[in-house]
Amino acid sequence: MPLIRKPPPAGAQTGPAAPDSAAVFEALARGTDDERWAAARAAADVPGIVPALEDALEREQKPVVREALFSALARIASPQSIEAVVPFLRSDDALVRTEATDALLAAKEAAWPYFAALLRDPSVDVRILACGLARDMPSDVAVKLYCDVLESEPDVNVCAAAVEVLAEIGETAALPALERCATRFSDTPFLVFSIQMAIDRVRSQASGSRA
Amino acid sequence: MIFTEPKRYYVERRVTERMTATGASSFELYFARLRADLQGEIEQFVNAFTINETYFYREEHQLACLTSELLAARLNAKPRGAPIRIWSVPCSTGEEPYSIAIWLLENWPYVDEHDIEIVGSDIDTGAIALARGGVYGKRALSRLSPQVVDRYFTAVDAESWQIVSDLRDSVRFTRVNIVERAETQPHGQFDVIFCRNVLIYFDDLSRRTAAENLFENLLPGGFICLGHTESMSRISPLFEVARFADAIVYQRPSR
Repeated sequence: MPLIRKPPPAGAQTGPAAPDSAAVFEALARGTDDERWAAARAAADVPGIVPALEDALEREQKPVVREALFSALARIASPQSIEAVVPFLRSDDALVRTEATDALLAAKEAAWPYFAALLRDPSVDVRILACGLARDMPSDVAVKLYCDVLESEPDVNVCAAAVEVLAEIGETAALPALERCATRFSDTPFLVFSIQMAIDRVRSQASGSRA
Repeated sequence: MIFTEPKRYYVERRVTERMTATGASSFELYFARLRADLQGEIEQFVNAFTINETYFYREEHQLACLTSELLAARLNAKPRGAPIRIWSVPCSTGEEPYSIAIWLLENWPYVDEHDIEIVGSDIDTGAIALARGGVYGKRALSRLSPQVVDRYFTAVDAESWQIVSDLRDSVRFTRVNIVERAETQPHGQFDVIFCRNVLIYFDDLSRRTAAENLFENLLPGGFICLGHTESMSRISPLFEVARFADAIVYQRPSR
């Protein structure tokens, strides 16, 4: 039979050795592509690494390495690591913005305290991204955040993003805010239509769950 | 089909799987989709419940892709004489790694010309023990021809068959948790990884970690095959989509 059974590859009987902190710092700053990747993968276990990860992200051009850098920050999940990710929501590069969004979603609870401020960010683009982020929060908290957007947000596209999420997670408590938003943007037919769809959906879900 | 109380976990898992596959964020939304039979969801839902046990030659199109495209691509990229390494993870009770072995022996004309190493790994040590024993029931063998069963199995009794010892001795089984890098790295790098229907059960961070681990376990240019309801584009940007006639798989960039 040509199939062979071999022992694991030599030298690979155990997992990766505990990271040498100095080597991780050095590789993040000056390593080859492979060395930067390996350093990023090991970084979450290195104390005090967040500023170096943030610097590395600023410089990094290889999407694969950047993915590992964002993962390390999501895994660390400290206020400092979340604050290192947030500025990349403002990147000119759409890919980087998406990577930062995914990292904040992966960080889960650690990132939640930042979403209310992101929903009030001066940048419309950031506010739209934030609408996508907050959907995984506990529904009562998320619904309150989205209702606040509907009551005060001046940009129609941000409101539309909030309406889209509320259509999925909305509760009847959101209905008054949805109706007031429709009144506020009564001259924007697509938003009025979206809001009506959301209202119908929330009502049908509410009646379904009562049945 | 009747599912009694002890099957509650099983039912929940299948419903969760379908909710994930359809992007439904709540059971209510998914239930509405099911009742409306949106995009043939009733059939998908039933399928999710009928493929409860894995079986030989499951998702055969990926095995066909392995022999029609993937191995040739890997051989072109490898030093002459280097073994071809294939990883089935998670391998459950062994149907998948043995299927790969049988498929190669039956369908790949060059099988005698290369050293081929197949590793099956799972987090469940009970499943691994069963895989090493290699005894299967009629249902698991239902997609194999009688000739293939005769060649690679011996009857244990009227209801069960055991993989022949030569084949059992050819597949190495190990325990692994794919979100633990310390457990995945020792397995080395592979040419092809079959990782089907597991990533969808992970949360975002675990999925990222697993994807990065699997990336490291693939040789540059190596391929990863996911389950038919999974898409790596929703899991990780590390891999490139590789479209072939028989299957869509994912590939670690060559460099």
